[in-house]
Amino acid sequence: MLGIQNIASYIPKESIDNLEQADRFVTDREFVEQKIGVSSLPRFSESDTVVRACSEAFQNLCKKESIESSEIECVVLCTQNPDGGGLPHNSALIHAELGLPEDCACFDIGLGCSGYVYGLSVIQSFMLANGMKKGLLFTCDPYSRILNPEDKNTCLLFGDAAAVTLISDTPRYTLDGAKFSTKGSGGRALQKVDGQLEMNGRAVFNFALQDVPKQIKGLLEKTELKTEDIDLFLLHQGSRFMLENTIKRAGIPPEKAPIDLAETGNTVSSSIPLLLEKELANSPNKILMSGFGVGLSWASAIYKLVK
Amino acid sequence: MIREEAVKIVMSMLEKNVEGLKMSEDQMGKTLVDIGVDSLDLMLVIMDVGEAAGVAITDDQAEQLDTPEKIVGFISQ
Repeated sequence: MLGIQNIASYIPKESIDNLEQADRFVTDREFVEQKIGVSSLPRFSESDTVVRACSEAFQNLCKKESIESSEIECVVLCTQNPDGGGLPHNSALIHAELGLPEDCACFDIGLGCSGYVYGLSVIQSFMLANGMKKGLLFTCDPYSRILNPEDKNTCLLFGDAAAVTLISDTPRYTLDGAKFSTKGSGGRALQKVDGQLEMNGRAVFNFALQDVPKQIKGLLEKTELKTEDIDLFLLHQGSRFMLENTIKRAGIPPEKAPIDLAETGNTVSSSIPLLLEKELANSPNKILMSGFGVGLSWASAIYKLVK
Repeated sequence: MIREEAVKIVMSMLEKNVEGLKMSEDQMGKTLVDIGVDSLDLMLVIMDVGEAAGVAITDDQAEQLDTPEKIVGFISQ
């Protein structure tokens, strides 16, 4: 049996004051604080890289868990903004940085905000199929690399961060069911054009509010569970307004769905593990996580506490 | 859809989604910005109005709907 054993993260020390950014874009500060819900955005410094951020996250994981590097048999990295354009694949560079053994599978996954839910399923399936016992799932997608500094729709939203999840045969949480969806025809709502991110806010908003609640309800139906059976709903932290309304439309009690992006912003595939890292201490029995964004791609999964 | 019904839908969706907004007939011709609807509220209002009226509103069409009256006109076409 494989599953999530622990999580650690890395938030860069440097940050941007989002309220000062609001002034620069002649946008109401209250709107940025209350509606976008982000007051500070962590930013990679010049010395930060995906590999370094993942390595920092791993060092933080080592403070929580006793990890023998020689036991790590698999490293998966989810990013769409890798160092060096992704060649070599950054998971191999992380492998070198952490001094992992040669008998270790490494590969990258190119997904955005649905990436953590996908990544968990991919790494667990891969490890299970190949008889592996310990693996690391990294998420790190520094969107600051592709932001257009004049585009307030994106500059006020995205923060940089990294997270690592230890997958092992002594898990605290195991997968109880998942659903994966794609609407490729809507992909232009979030795309990179001439090296810069372009976002159709209305299309992304409609997608989040209309498609994500349907998938969450569908997953509950598939697993024969009800909203009251789930202790914690961890939704991708896109923006406060979008989250509040997605939560409402999914029929989730707000107290079960934390909104916590004021100091991080939207950290893409790292937003769910950042939340989960904080919530693990409370040992919720059943967790439903849902990631949605670039693709358009969305994925929801239920994890249950191992007793 | 008859106009009265469209007015009812638009007014109720504006009041539902914009905190503290109380709609009256004399506000129907004012711009949404002037009656205190911000860009995010507007996305929600357009979605809810479209769903309540059973009408699909594209992004381009939504861009043109800058007063309650124009939204009423669109869904009662």
